[in-house]
Amino acid sequence: MGVLTNLMAQQTIWRLPEESRVLFATLIVAGAFVLILGLIPVLQTLPPRGRRAIIVTVTFLAGLFFAAEFFLPVDWTAIFPKDDPKRNFLTPAIQPAQNVLQIIGALALGLGTFGLVRLHLRNTVQRRAQWGYSIVLLVSFVVMATFSILNTLAEKKIVERGPMLERGFSILFDYTLIQLDAAMFSLVAFYIFSAAYRAFRIRSVEASILMFTAMLVMIGVVPLGAQISPALPTIANWVLAQLNAPAQRAIEFGVGIGGLAMAIRLWLSLERGVT
Amino acid sequence: MLSVDRRWLYLILFVNIVIFLLAPLRMPASISPPVQKFYDEIEKLQPGDLVMISSNWSASTLAENQPQLEAVITHLMRKQVRFTIISIEAQSRDISYRLAERVTKEKGYQYGEQWAHFGFVPNLAVAIKGMVTDLPNTIKQDVRGTAVAELPVVQGVKSLSEYKMIIDVTPTGSVPVWISYSPKNVKILYCPTSVMAAEAYTYLDSGQIKGMITGAKGAQEYEQLLGITGLGAPFANTISFSHLLIIAFILLGNFAMLMNRLQARREA
Repeated sequence: MGVLTNLMAQQTIWRLPEESRVLFATLIVAGAFVLILGLIPVLQTLPPRGRRAIIVTVTFLAGLFFAAEFFLPVDWTAIFPKDDPKRNFLTPAIQPAQNVLQIIGALALGLGTFGLVRLHLRNTVQRRAQWGYSIVLLVSFVVMATFSILNTLAEKKIVERGPMLERGFSILFDYTLIQLDAAMFSLVAFYIFSAAYRAFRIRSVEASILMFTAMLVMIGVVPLGAQISPALPTIANWVLAQLNAPAQRAIEFGVGIGGLAMAIRLWLSLERGVT
Repeated sequence: MLSVDRRWLYLILFVNIVIFLLAPLRMPASISPPVQKFYDEIEKLQPGDLVMISSNWSASTLAENQPQLEAVITHLMRKQVRFTIISIEAQSRDISYRLAERVTKEKGYQYGEQWAHFGFVPNLAVAIKGMVTDLPNTIKQDVRGTAVAELPVVQGVKSLSEYKMIIDVTPTGSVPVWISYSPKNVKILYCPTSVMAAEAYTYLDSGQIKGMITGAKGAQEYEQLLGITGLGAPFANTISFSHLLIIAFILLGNFAMLMNRLQARREA
């Protein structure tokens, strides 16, 4: 206990000397594996109520850590004389904790990739409907991943950047992926145009005001508006700055307060679906 | 008229876009106050100042964000300012790196000496808080694998507070994160897509962001101020006539609805 208090006082628990860093990291990783391997069968055998209790407790403690670090007063030098007066004893743990969150996020990415590949492999092997598209996806995935990984290694000078890698990555990334991605998003413009023609109807006074203002802004913010009349850009900027900004401010206040309420509900596991 | 096949509408819009994209017609833009403020803020920078560019756009918003980023990098190079680029979107890491390499090579800016790319960071709030406390140990290495502490462009820089400015080029709502967590002495400039710009006027009004370039049209205004030819002008001109077309069809749709109602009344 004295050792732990001493370490916390010196703020060295998160910054170990080089020689004990590897051992400490190994112990943490091994401990995490043991915990997870032991936890999975326990969670599976527990009844739903027991599972809920564990999830609620872990969620609460995780949220409590960040809330405590933010709200606990700084300057603990009265208790830990060697402490930094600008932070509390939890502050040095923030960066490692957030690193853990990033690792969990990376795990989710790997899990998603595994799930996707498994689904399409199954489609291909079992010759399900449209399995040809699954083959296209799998081949594209492997080819793109290969060139991307090699490109990243070449950037770090781990492998040599040959003309085939340069050209291949350029064709796949610059001339295929980017263009297809841009084209897919551009389809939205056509849908908006079609929807505007079919659905934007003036049926009331409020709708008329909305429509008229929208048209003024639409034409005022583009160069054509300035050519039609110098007053149009001025009016459009006035609408954006003097009408739009207060409304957006009000919406953001509401969203912020709503977000805070939702965050507290999630932290306390008051939302449905926690099992 | 109200039951026209939507494929005709798609075709009309497509033809409109192609014509005005290829046409040599170039209309000068009226410089809006947010863009003028953006330009003025960068003009205040001194040679050697350090700027962080947060480039978070992917190919989806290439038409709006690419002209912005190209113009911003051109302006920073003109002012002999050092800059580093960071991305919180995986695809953006490659897009912004390759774009910056191309643009800086044309102007003779040296990687590592005058600019660098810090690569992809998955969590912006975490990254900003880490960079404020200890930048070299948060980012660790650039896209080429060089330790940040060894890069001449950020030699001796320990914290984000030593930067003069942050420029956020993004289609997402990431600027509130920069406003919340970045040091208060660092100015923030914003380059959103047109859709996100409406929300940003509150921050512009309060002074939390010092300037804003909105979409391709903002990029055209900025290029005009810089006196350069970029993608902003042709894109903005195409958008102009597309907006005109949309307005025309909205009015046409309402006119058709009105005619239908009058006819129905007459028949009744």
